[in-house]
Amino acid sequence: MTDSRRATVWGLVAEQAVLRGGPVAAADACTAAVAAVGVTGAWLTAPGGGEGGHLMRVTDGVSERLAELELTLGEGPSLDAAASGGPVLASDLGARDAVGRWPVFAPAACQAGVAAIFVFPLRIGAIRAGVLGLYRVRPGSLSAAGLGDALIFADTATLLLLDAQDQATASPGAPAGAGGQPVGLARHRSEIDQATGMLTEQLGVGIADAFARLRAYAYGNDLRLTDVARDIVARRLRLRPDLGLPPDGEA
Amino acid sequence: MDGQLLSDTFVELTDTMVADFDVIDFLHVLTDRSVQLLDVSAAGLLLADQRGELRVLAASSEAARLLELFQLQNDQGPCLDCFRSGRPVTAGDLAAEAARWPQFAPTARQAGFAAVQALPMRLRDQVIGALNLFRAGTGAFDPGDVRVGQAMADVATISLLHERNMRRSDTLNEQLQTALNSRVIIEQAKGKLAERLGLDMSQAFSLLRDHARARNLRLSDLAQAFVDGSEPLTGPAADARVRRRTADDSVRPGGGAVEEAQQLHRDGHD
Repeated sequence: MTDSRRATVWGLVAEQAVLRGGPVAAADACTAAVAAVGVTGAWLTAPGGGEGGHLMRVTDGVSERLAELELTLGEGPSLDAAASGGPVLASDLGARDAVGRWPVFAPAACQAGVAAIFVFPLRIGAIRAGVLGLYRVRPGSLSAAGLGDALIFADTATLLLLDAQDQATASPGAPAGAGGQPVGLARHRSEIDQATGMLTEQLGVGIADAFARLRAYAYGNDLRLTDVARDIVARRLRLRPDLGLPPDGEA
Repeated sequence: MDGQLLSDTFVELTDTMVADFDVIDFLHVLTDRSVQLLDVSAAGLLLADQRGELRVLAASSEAARLLELFQLQNDQGPCLDCFRSGRPVTAGDLAAEAARWPQFAPTARQAGFAAVQALPMRLRDQVIGALNLFRAGTGAFDPGDVRVGQAMADVATISLLHERNMRRSDTLNEQLQTALNSRVIIEQAKGKLAERLGLDMSQAFSLLRDHARARNLRLSDLAQAFVDGSEPLTGPAADARVRRRTADDSVRPGGGAVEEAQQLHRDGHD
């Protein structure tokens, strides 16, 4: 069931890229999420370019205004989501709890015509890739299916942003897997997370780079990510800092 | 069965109105009380997350948590059968279940469990998860225990669905996803520390936990700082703890793992 939802979401993201006429990018996940989740607009930020991050994509002027408001005011759901590592779901910005949470941001967002805001941090554990924000002009929670889809759009955007950062720094890269879909979001993944942590030490890199190298190694050797991770955790496989290849005779 | 604890447990499992309600703590109440009240050695709980994917969200011990993960990884086992059918699944002797669960049965026995009972978390047509009870000895589960276990699972299910549908669905959903991400951070930190100091994952966890306790930090916050590089986690104290921990573990294998699950519970998962 979920695999088919993931495939559906990926199809919608890829369709946006075709319409835009470019390779699939995280911005396409942001655009596609609007209609699929049933919201009014969306925005996407990536780390860098100041404390609030770099604004990668807005689907309308109100989204841009929301992103700006948080930057200007220094309070808001994106900042809270970045702090907690989990989503922030504010289904009624006019309600007392929302105003209590963001005394300046909530009224300002309401004034901009926004009634509900849903922010998803693009994270894999300690890896931070940015934030996907959605808003609606009418109050109300996301439906269960809408929330599930929003999380899958956020997962997709996370991997696409990590790939983009990776290509920008010209390291080996973590290319798309079968059917062009991003590899790496295995569902049951404690060994992948442990292996990623181990690689930060083996390779002397940060956690996002370690994850990219793990994925690149699996892809480059046509192996499943979980199998590579299991070998690293069992200390049957080590990656070298320079090339990400195993030492002679240990592959 | 401890009647007072039983009635207290039912109160705990309906009392979601408290201001600081935490869904992960709530689920741990279900697994912990199952072990305290019923004739079982361990309990684990799978719940469908908002993506519709099953996740291990609570376990009374690390062994139970790993067995739940194992079922998900191999797409096989009593908890999955129970979730998919919405019906209880029982096996009084896992030695006789190699045909039913070729991978799960031997792994569960290796972990020290001989019998398993899975109970659905279900309200009418909606199955939201399953509670797995593990026992070290063989034999059928006591029908009274099964009834009580199912009643606890039913009450917990109703409470969670009530939360989800009525007052606090946003908070509940935020908490679930935050807890899942915190668990990922802790696994990443365990890997980094294990590699740095040449420890196994259980030892690495113990060291992280000791540091978190000594500094009065939440485990997930410490793990985040360690992975980010802002917390070095080194020094003579850490080295001494590693040596002591290694010695402890050789005497008491697996002890660190049980403590891990307990600490995760106490830590509140953010």
